[in-house]
Amino acid sequence: MQNEPVRVLLADDDEDDRLFFKEAFDEIKIKTSVNLVNNGVELMKYLTQKSTQLPHILFLDLNMPLKSGMDCLLEIKNIEHLKNIPVAIYSTSASEEDIEETFVQGANIYIKKPSDFRTLRKVLEEVITINWQYHTSGLIRENFLLSI
Amino acid sequence: MNLRTIIRSSYILKSIFVISVFILIFISGVSYKHSTALSESPELLNKSYNIQIQLEKLLSNVKDAETGQRGFIITGDSAFLHPYYSAHASVQRSFIVLKHLTADHQKQQANLDSLVHLINLRFNYLDISLKTASVLPVNKDQLEKNMYRGENIMNKIRFQIDIMNELETGYFKDHQEKYSHELYFTPIITFIILFFSLVIFIVSFIKINNDLFVLKKSNEELLIKTESIKHAEVIGEFCITLWDMDSNSISYSDNLYRLLGCEPQSFEPTIENFLQFVHPDDRNIVKTGAEKAIQESKTYARFYRIIRKDGELRYFRSIGKFISDDNNKSKTHIGIIKDITQMHLINIKLEEKNRELEQSISELESFNRVASHDLQEPLRKIQTFISRISEKESLTMSEAGMEYFEKILTSVNQMRTLIDDLLLFSRTYKAEKVFETTDLNLLLENALQELSQEIEEKNAAFTTVQLPVINVIPFQILQLFTNLISNSLKYCKPGIAPVIRIDCEIVMPNGYPALEMNNQTRYYKISITDNGLGFEQKYAESIFLLFHRLHNKTEYPGSGIGLSICKKIVENHNGFITAEGKPDIGSVFTFFLPE
Amino acid sequence: MQTACKIILQQQLDKLKLDYSIPGFNEVEINEPITSNRLIQMNTFLNNYGIEILDAPKSVLIQKIKDAIIEMVYTEKKLPIFKISTYLAEKVDHSYGYISALFSEVTYTSIENFIIIQKIERAKQLIIMDDLTITEIGWELNYSSVAHFCTQFKNITGLTPTTFHRIINKRRNAAMNGSKQNTKSDVGLK
Repeated sequence: MQNEPVRVLLADDDEDDRLFFKEAFDEIKIKTSVNLVNNGVELMKYLTQKSTQLPHILFLDLNMPLKSGMDCLLEIKNIEHLKNIPVAIYSTSASEEDIEETFVQGANIYIKKPSDFRTLRKVLEEVITINWQYHTSGLIRENFLLSI
Repeated sequence: MNLRTIIRSSYILKSIFVISVFILIFISGVSYKHSTALSESPELLNKSYNIQIQLEKLLSNVKDAETGQRGFIITGDSAFLHPYYSAHASVQRSFIVLKHLTADHQKQQANLDSLVHLINLRFNYLDISLKTASVLPVNKDQLEKNMYRGENIMNKIRFQIDIMNELETGYFKDHQEKYSHELYFTPIITFIILFFSLVIFIVSFIKINNDLFVLKKSNEELLIKTESIKHAEVIGEFCITLWDMDSNSISYSDNLYRLLGCEPQSFEPTIENFLQFVHPDDRNIVKTGAEKAIQESKTYARFYRIIRKDGELRYFRSIGKFISDDNNKSKTHIGIIKDITQMHLINIKLEEKNRELEQSISELESFNRVASHDLQEPLRKIQTFISRISEKESLTMSEAGMEYFEKILTSVNQMRTLIDDLLLFSRTYKAEKVFETTDLNLLLENALQELSQEIEEKNAAFTTVQLPVINVIPFQILQLFTNLISNSLKYCKPGIAPVIRIDCEIVMPNGYPALEMNNQTRYYKISITDNGLGFEQKYAESIFLLFHRLHNKTEYPGSGIGLSICKKIVENHNGFITAEGKPDIGSVFTFFLPE
Repeated sequence: MQTACKIILQQQLDKLKLDYSIPGFNEVEINEPITSNRLIQMNTFLNNYGIEILDAPKSVLIQKIKDAIIEMVYTEKKLPIFKISTYLAEKVDHSYGYISALFSEVTYTSIENFIIIQKIERAKQLIIMDDLTITEIGWELNYSSVAHFCTQFKNITGLTPTTFHRIINKRRNAAMNGSKQNTKSDVGLK
């Protein structure tokens, strides 16, 4: 019973990235159910629907049209029932300043999109694993920061 | 000598003049008294002489009467009585004269009175004798008795006259003495007056001459100054206006007219006339400016346009100041009007350039964004797809095909590293720079933590000193430390544990030409010394250049951008960085940050 | 809390009409075979109260291991790494090989990694408390050197201890300022 599938949600406007993401999760041994949305607006719509079962972890691309990842992050952190969802920023660029800024705004994880598939798989597996520990082992979520 | 001393000297002159007038009046008074006394002297002499004459006359008259009486008595002829009767009248006349002449002498009057008494007595006896002689028969005894008595009184009269004469002679002698005394002092006083006048005259002359010289000199200076101001006005394209607030009169310097394209002093200097040249849209600025200046006794810089007589548009700036004399009574407004057209046009050009620059910076920034994201994205996808293919299709692909894929991968990797590094470098150019007061010790600690893995692997040893707390861009200084220390760790001698020393001291900019230009008094000199491979000193400059490498790429991987970033970071902080190296001994990287 | 938890547990289990007994804290024995449907039902009921069902006895075992590790990390027992296996094996009364395999299967991570995660978690708390320096925290958590501690911290979190500290501080300040601003705007609305 303990191993219900980990619910993963990704918001990314890039089709290829969504594909890599899904394929990577298909290949890792942890059981997951992956949901994909195409942009920030869609993401917020999805999250605020009543019927939605909230994800265990949300992957958020920073650079999206209409509503950027940062906008989504700020919005999520201001909605009571959403603000405890662990947020993983999933972005191409990674300057120290950008990373720090997103962490300060409440993100838990910052992933620089890896440039080869094997690394992507490894990174995502690691993220899910450690997030799972926070989920199951009573670790303090406020202290959950991870930059990969 | 300035104006004030001249004013002071004129005061001195005035007081000297007043004093000398008083002294001269005093001396003149004295000498006037003197000369009047002098003119009195001969008069007195004359008087004395007259008195004596009158006395003699008196005596001779009495004698005449006596003689006449005797003649009558002897002859009985009444013709002899004629002088006797006339003597009576002359004696009376002489008395009156003498009475007048001796009016100012109490003693002489008393003497005169007793003389009159004696003479009257004498005449009495003469009368009696005459009566006695005329009544016949003549009583000889009585006559003789009377004659003796008369003779006795006559003697007394003579004696009295002698006394009077003597007294008068004494008076006269006194006068004589006084007269000669005054006669002696008169030239001395005259000489003193003359001398004193001469002294005053000379002193005044010297003083006036002196002042004149000073005045002339300051006049010359004034002339030079006025001239130079005139020239300055022409050269500096400005002019001076004077506005006397009391009389409300304005004067414009010649150059104002020139600046307006007119002949000097070709129109009456009034605000209204000046306003004719001001651009219609700006007239209010000038008008309200003047009103405001009067109200607040304070002027502000004003900018406005001028249309010159020839129609040319110029830009003016005016500023002024109220000045009042020492008593704070009369007020004058000094105004400076400057033609700033040239500067204004340059400013406009500069602003335009600035805008262009800002534009290109923002373009550069957006290019950076494009490079960081949009350019990287496809590259990353190529990489990911290649890794996907090589993983999935490795069995079905030919060996050559696999090799080509490897080569594509290598090239793409290279390109990505390059873009990453360039991006890193361009980030140091970022327009917004947030300076924070930061403890450099914390930044160094953070840098060491960042490099903990390499430090652990190479077993590097560090010695550090206390670093300052200064105003820096924290991310950049962290990067600076990280880059420099990582460099030292990277280029260590194989098999020898790196020993890295971080020093810090305060230095003055003298002796460091690169620092002297900045307006900063003190710098922190922070150096990082290692025992690594070092380098030839001739490369000390070039290692900071972009993409410049001293070592083989395969041996020591890297893009040759790290030190360029360091240089840029230090420059962002108005400091500078140098490197010293000795092959196989080690290298020292030193950077200076303003306090 | 424990009694409250127990009462809730009893109420919910009564609702499901199950034959059960509660021998101790954290343990419920179901005295009849249970279908997975019933189990899911039970799970949703209990989840509302934050109570989680661990599959006995595997889950209980895993929890025991975790508790032992947490106890080890949080109390001042400074164990050398090679003795941990023996310690844990004794603690849960199974061979280390067995518990290690079981742990990996259930938690997706190895015991060794879990220990590291816990240590870093402890380190984070110490860093935030701000009483100890990084060096002292390294000693406290039995690291051979600061560099080693920092490396491990960085491997687990991707950040250096100092950066981590800075971010947490900034986040707290931002939250404080944010709440201040919120109350301000509330007042403005009224």
